[in-house]
Amino acid sequence: MRQSVNSTLSVDLTNCDREPIHIPGLIQPHGVLLVLRPDLNIVQVSHNVSALIGRQPQELLGQPLAVLLPPEQIDMVQQCLIGDFECVNPLDISVEFKDQLLRFDGIVHCCNDLVILELEPRQINSKNDFFQFHQRVKGTITKIQKAPTLLEMCKVVVKEVQKITGFDRVMVYRFDAEGAGVVIAEDHVETMVPYLGLRYPATDIPKQAKQLYTLNWLRLIPDSTYEPVALVPENAIDDRPTDLSLSVLRSVSPLHLEYLKNMGVQASMSISLIQDQKLWGLIACHHSEPRYVPYTVRTICEFVGQVMSVELATKESHEDLDYKMALKSLQGKFVESLSHSQSFLEGLVQLNSSLLDLVGATGAVVCAGEQVICIGQTPPESELPALRDWIKTNIQHNLFESQALSTIYPPAEAFKDIASGLLALEISKVNQNYILWFRPEVFQTVSWGGNPNKPVEITADGEARLSPRKSFERWQETVEGCSVPWKLCEIEIVTELRSLIVGIILSQADEMAKINLELERSNTELDAFAYVASHDLKEPLRGIHNYSNFLMEDYGDVLHEDGVAKLQTLVRLTQRMEDLINSLLHYSRLGRTEISRQPTNLNDIVRQVIDTLTISQPHQPIEFRLPRPLPIIRCDRTQVNELFTNLISNAIKYNDHAEKWVEVGFIEADPKNQDTSSPEIFYVRDNGIGIPEKHLGRIFQIFKRLHAQDEYGGGTGAGLTIVQKIVERHEGKVWVESSSGGGSTFYFTLAAEAQL
Amino acid sequence: MMEASSVFSTQSPLLIVEDSNEDFEALRRYIQQYHLPIPLYRCTKGDQALAFLYRTGQYADAALAPRPGLILLDLNLPGTDGREVLRRIKQDDHLKTIPVIILTTSNNPKDIKACYQHGVNSYVIKPMDFKVLKHSIQTLLSYWFEITMLPSESLEDNLL
Repeated sequence: MRQSVNSTLSVDLTNCDREPIHIPGLIQPHGVLLVLRPDLNIVQVSHNVSALIGRQPQELLGQPLAVLLPPEQIDMVQQCLIGDFECVNPLDISVEFKDQLLRFDGIVHCCNDLVILELEPRQINSKNDFFQFHQRVKGTITKIQKAPTLLEMCKVVVKEVQKITGFDRVMVYRFDAEGAGVVIAEDHVETMVPYLGLRYPATDIPKQAKQLYTLNWLRLIPDSTYEPVALVPENAIDDRPTDLSLSVLRSVSPLHLEYLKNMGVQASMSISLIQDQKLWGLIACHHSEPRYVPYTVRTICEFVGQVMSVELATKESHEDLDYKMALKSLQGKFVESLSHSQSFLEGLVQLNSSLLDLVGATGAVVCAGEQVICIGQTPPESELPALRDWIKTNIQHNLFESQALSTIYPPAEAFKDIASGLLALEISKVNQNYILWFRPEVFQTVSWGGNPNKPVEITADGEARLSPRKSFERWQETVEGCSVPWKLCEIEIVTELRSLIVGIILSQADEMAKINLELERSNTELDAFAYVASHDLKEPLRGIHNYSNFLMEDYGDVLHEDGVAKLQTLVRLTQRMEDLINSLLHYSRLGRTEISRQPTNLNDIVRQVIDTLTISQPHQPIEFRLPRPLPIIRCDRTQVNELFTNLISNAIKYNDHAEKWVEVGFIEADPKNQDTSSPEIFYVRDNGIGIPEKHLGRIFQIFKRLHAQDEYGGGTGAGLTIVQKIVERHEGKVWVESSSGGGSTFYFTLAAEAQL
Repeated sequence: MMEASSVFSTQSPLLIVEDSNEDFEALRRYIQQYHLPIPLYRCTKGDQALAFLYRTGQYADAALAPRPGLILLDLNLPGTDGREVLRRIKQDDHLKTIPVIILTTSNNPKDIKACYQHGVNSYVIKPMDFKVLKHSIQTLLSYWFEITMLPSESLEDNLL
């Protein structure tokens, strides 16, 4: 048999898709087919009625079915038409032929207002009661359900179907996304070459064949070398060929028969595996010799296929269950850690290798703005910005996934060994927050069941002829630039991760904004409080001061010396109180006013301060040491003047040496020390009384004095607090080294932006 | 409140706007110790000071509110504060020739700057020390009432 396709336009592998295999007008010879009108008058028969039931087609055509079957069997057929024929098939049909009673399995279905009755000779001893069916199917179903994984289930099924049918080879054949099929489970007689793991191109099973597999749960070809039997007349009614889509005897496409023959298969049976109305795969049975499978056994196989189809979803969702659980728990830890970290980047980087484990990657890159942090095996850092920008334009729904990056992003060819697989998650386009995961290239060997590129033969008369493959020898192809594919569960985890991260970021930003607002408010309040309090405290204080003086002026003579002395103390106390208030006011104002940085020669400042201090205390001989000129920096002149004034005046004040000296200088900061952003550390050193170690921690506290009021010239105790405030306003640090009696050194820095 | 001053004087009066009785008492004490008798008027609130200057409300009778030769103004006053009073005076063509001296506790540079921008004639921080206060008051009086020439009210009126 040859099927010629006349086409000068295009001959490609999909030409098979156009073969009208549902209306061949032919059947397989192992049974007879009768086409009846709804009134059960015979309108079309298969030519082999004479051989199988001893009637000539002419004897039957135009006649009621009653010419063939006794009334009770006609009743059965009629009941069949009313009800769901699937439930009653097969009918127990017997036909008288040469004084013999021939028994048949009658299979009835309706198609386009026609009744199709197919009769298959019944095997001897074949019973078809439910009890037997149940007996044979029960064990198999239990095994299918108990199989722990999809693959285990497939293994069970091939074994069971082999036992039930006795075929040489039983396989589970699964379609991938591209329609190619892979043998994922197989049971075969020892002498046969295994097909397990072989891949067959999508063109091996044309579209309309797939459609028929979806309509019929089971398809049997008992002998592929059969001579097809024609239907008589050619068309039942009108000019339309009878639709044999649902016929069990329907003749097979000659291309398929040739395919089977090339494969060395003489009998074949396929059971459809259907999930969500789509053909998921097939249970394919092959036999090297003709093999008929009785209808009842086929029913069992069909049932097994249906149960397996139902189980597919369950088994698939249980697939990698442990892995999924592990991922889920990793994700939990991930989120926990992220929610405790200061920033997105810091949080992710802390996770380090668990970031890789989350999706089973070998490398990861976290992008946050222009910052890029690599973990594990990643493409070179120089390639990352371009890759990120490319992803940015190609990502959809925040996720990008590829197992063969170099095929869509050519620059990836350079690093395909470490990054053929890419999974990218976009957290924020605006902030350029991305996480990229990489998987290395894995050389994959795909074993095809023969060369998948179907050849086209050109016949002698110039016709292109599609021919099925002749060779089913293992044909291996090495696939490069591909990684292990990303599993659905890994992609799902990452998608979930995004919403979790976004949630955390939002709540953190929210919290931060609240805290900032609160902080700002409380700072403003504190400043306002200090300012207002200081002013309002001053008024009554001034009153006390003035009235004490009025008392002394107006009643001095009545108060005597003792009373006047007490009033003088009162006046002195009010003055001290005013000093304290003024310090507080000054301190609070330092915190509120903007600092205005301008280039300042620190030598001038220090010289000024020294001059002022020496003028106010001319009787004290002090040696001022300036080991080397100070730099010119950008700072608030007034504040820095006060800073030096306070430090130098303290150095002079707290000194009981006969020969006092004060040294002002700077040292270079260690650039490796992250604590100081300033290149210089300034210092003011003296040979004064020093500070006992136990007090060092408290000297910067406001109004904290270490000495009695009348010692060392007194003071409010705000000087160092103000020094600290000024240094803080210049984003620097201040600290002290001192020991009791050993002099003190005050160090401070004034931030990097102080540089010119 | 109008404080009793000398019964008759050619001297222009001094208006003190001060809410604190104690502070006012201290001021009055040293003003009275001054060698020249200076008629003294006092307001405790900003609105009251404006009423005095514009001769409205309780000061509708011009005799009760003579045009002052000098105003001593506190900044922190109940209600309309000294900053507002200063602004109103210095924006008024008729009043702006009266010298205004701010006498306040506030040493806030912002206040000082703002007052001078509004045209204040002097900004004096209330000293704590009574000796300094006495000296400040006497210096102010001698400067504004003896050394400086102020525009004469009648002349000004004629010009208007």
